[in-house]
Amino acid sequence: MFCGANPRWTSQLCYPLSSIMTVSSKYSPLLFVCSLLFTPGCAFLFDWVDTASSAPLVPHFTECISREMATFSCWWSTGSFQNISSPEDLKVFYERKSPGKTDRNECPQYNYLNQECFFDANHTTAWDTYCLELHVHNVTYANEDDCFTLPYIVIPDPPVALNWTLLNLSPSGLSYDVLVSWKPPPSADVKSGWMRVEYELQYRELNSTKWKNLEIQYDPQQTIYGLHVGREYEVHIRSKMKAFVKFGEFSKSIFIQIEGSGDDGTSFPVMLALIFGISGIFIIIMFIVVSQHQRLIMILLPPVPAPKIKGIDSELLKKGKLEELNLILSGGGMGGLSAHAPDFYQDEPWVEFIEVDIDGADSSEKEDNQGSDTQRLLALSQQVGNHMHIGSSNATCFPDDDSGRASCYDLDHPDQDPLIPMATLLPGQPEDREASADRDQTTAPQTWVNTDFYAQVSNVMPSGGVVLSPGQQLRAQENQEDAKKGSKKETCDDNAKDIHFQLLVVDPENTEIKQNSTPSTSPVSNEGYQTVPLQTVDPNPIEEQQSPYILTPDSPQSPPFTPVADYTVVQEVDSQHSLLLNPPPQQQAPPPSCQSQHPLKSLPAMPVDYITPDLFGHLSQ
Amino acid sequence: MHRRTVVQRGAWAVLLWPFLFTKCIPLDCQDCPSISQEKLLDRVIQHAELIYRVSEESCTLFEEMFVPFPLRLQRNQAGYACITKALPIPSSKSEIQQISDQWLLQSVLLLVQSWIEPLVYLQTTLDRYDDAPELLLNKTKWLSGKLLSLEQGVLVLITKVLNEGMVSTSYTEQAIFQYDMQLDMLESIIKDYTLFNCFKKDAHKIETFLKLLKCRQTDKYNCA
Repeated sequence: MFCGANPRWTSQLCYPLSSIMTVSSKYSPLLFVCSLLFTPGCAFLFDWVDTASSAPLVPHFTECISREMATFSCWWSTGSFQNISSPEDLKVFYERKSPGKTDRNECPQYNYLNQECFFDANHTTAWDTYCLELHVHNVTYANEDDCFTLPYIVIPDPPVALNWTLLNLSPSGLSYDVLVSWKPPPSADVKSGWMRVEYELQYRELNSTKWKNLEIQYDPQQTIYGLHVGREYEVHIRSKMKAFVKFGEFSKSIFIQIEGSGDDGTSFPVMLALIFGISGIFIIIMFIVVSQHQRLIMILLPPVPAPKIKGIDSELLKKGKLEELNLILSGGGMGGLSAHAPDFYQDEPWVEFIEVDIDGADSSEKEDNQGSDTQRLLALSQQVGNHMHIGSSNATCFPDDDSGRASCYDLDHPDQDPLIPMATLLPGQPEDREASADRDQTTAPQTWVNTDFYAQVSNVMPSGGVVLSPGQQLRAQENQEDAKKGSKKETCDDNAKDIHFQLLVVDPENTEIKQNSTPSTSPVSNEGYQTVPLQTVDPNPIEEQQSPYILTPDSPQSPPFTPVADYTVVQEVDSQHSLLLNPPPQQQAPPPSCQSQHPLKSLPAMPVDYITPDLFGHLSQ
Repeated sequence: MHRRTVVQRGAWAVLLWPFLFTKCIPLDCQDCPSISQEKLLDRVIQHAELIYRVSEESCTLFEEMFVPFPLRLQRNQAGYACITKALPIPSSKSEIQQISDQWLLQSVLLLVQSWIEPLVYLQTTLDRYDDAPELLLNKTKWLSGKLLSLEQGVLVLITKVLNEGMVSTSYTEQAIFQYDMQLDMLESIIKDYTLFNCFKKDAHKIETFLKLLKCRQTDKYNCA
């Protein structure tokens, strides 16, 4: 006894071997040995061996089925026996165990063709145990599996007369409900209550492989919810006895379909979501546009940049505060002083520009700056003993086509003491312009002796000095915007070596650009300085032809210029945008010496006939 | 269901209390709450259906818990010889269709009464097992209680159907069931397993009989 004599019994796997032996007396010897040796594990082994022993080699019954719990049939198989030919070789016997009695009979109805034994209603009793046996050649083949009770072998027929009716259609017209009804299998005596049958309905879409199950139920009708318009569905039903497990076969399928354009069943919500998404995005964009209205306008429709003098407020010009500019801006088209030049010559570092900042009318700062610039310029002139003032000239303004501003020129300049800022020709980077301008006011050129207020730059020294010629009337042939003129600034700094440039004077008639390898070139020879056509960098160039005025870095020689007046008063600007200068008193300016840092110191004393527009920009302040 | 059971039991207790000892049921009861025959039959059928379902669940529970694999009955429920024997109860459908309503009811009553004692025995034997699940014990207890109610209901039904004064039942075969406490474990398991299976079978029989009766009561001509 493996489990001991404990009166409390434990679970199934623990049972004595003797009991196993008594119970499994019918089992094969292998099973017997196994049961002796491996008690706990043999419980599972029993099952395996049992199935192995029921290998279909001997004649056996394959199945017994009842359709209505009133009759049943059993089918046999001969297995591997081949010599069963006549009906006499095989017989079926059954044993029926009912309460109180057991009887044994032969199969009431043979069907050798189907290998079937049919039990009619007279020989069928419910709730009795039947055990079938096969007798082949007087050998009995019986199996425990061949005993059964009638209700447990009942497999009902499938229901019949399936049909469907439309219950309702959804408001969107895309889905609908259907009531499927059927009749119980005709063989099953459901009406009298002899059998209780329940049904399981399955349906699927035609193009899908998965069936959907509905709940098993007793009523011969069921509602299917949520079918889609436009799709075809297949429905079939199977039945089983209530409270039993065996299902019958499926009935014939019926097909449900409602025609319609409801194929958007799945795409309708997608479209709806798309529409909502687009509307939302549109609303957001509108909101952004409305809130960032100004900025968007600036981005999408930027204002067209009008030509400006850098530092000169066009409003000032319009307002007429041009007295300050009159002395400088005379003639037409003098507006562009240095505004565009820097942009134009960014890649030419040796071009220097004088910045003109005349936006001083509105702010005190600008006034100060203006004043400072003016003072810078005045300092120069004061030191040279000239009276300089700005903005006292009577300016006549006329519209300038080039710059879009009224350009003013001084008509009666002789009565004034025009103020022309000394050209601060500072060699150096364009960025140093401001610094240079700032340095302008610190010191004044001490080298100036008895020079006029106006001076004409005659040459730029290779060492960086600027040679100013004495005042000499020059013909202003063309006066352009500052564009390339540039301030010929010189510093005697270390970077002067990079920025040595030489003044290139080009004959107006001569469109060629003559580069002077040496300072002393013929174009700049004794015939005096001629006005150099100043090229306008104006966006609206109106001048027909301009010779570019190029400053090139140059060899270190000073041109032997004819001394001219130190200062030249710009008399007017002719139509060709040339400066007409007053001839200043003849004076001999000392050659410029390379002063330390001060640009003014490096200004040559030789005036030149023309003044670059950059000078005008500074002058205007 | 419990409320209905309580009401039913109350009704029957009030109705039957003087006669519990004599096992004879008089019909002349003026103060008893009356219930129509159809409703009573419906309730009896519900009882029978429920008893069958619970008995099936209990049998499955017991089988899974205690019965070793080779000893399990096949799907077809071959079953061992059931204890309830020698009852004059028709089994085949043809026979059943031929018997009268009264005989049907009598058969039902016999069946129900024959299972009262074995169910009580099952309760006691299950307590002896080590790890009998609580669910199984509860179900068995419920079964025996419901069977008693069913018996009382069928008795009342018989009086109504038969429209007779007294119904006498013979309990000569009441001592069918034998208690044998000296069984070892496997035998006890086998016996209990047999009990469960046979009770399940008979519960189905009871249910079927009552359904047949109902059909006959409602529509005598269409019922086969």
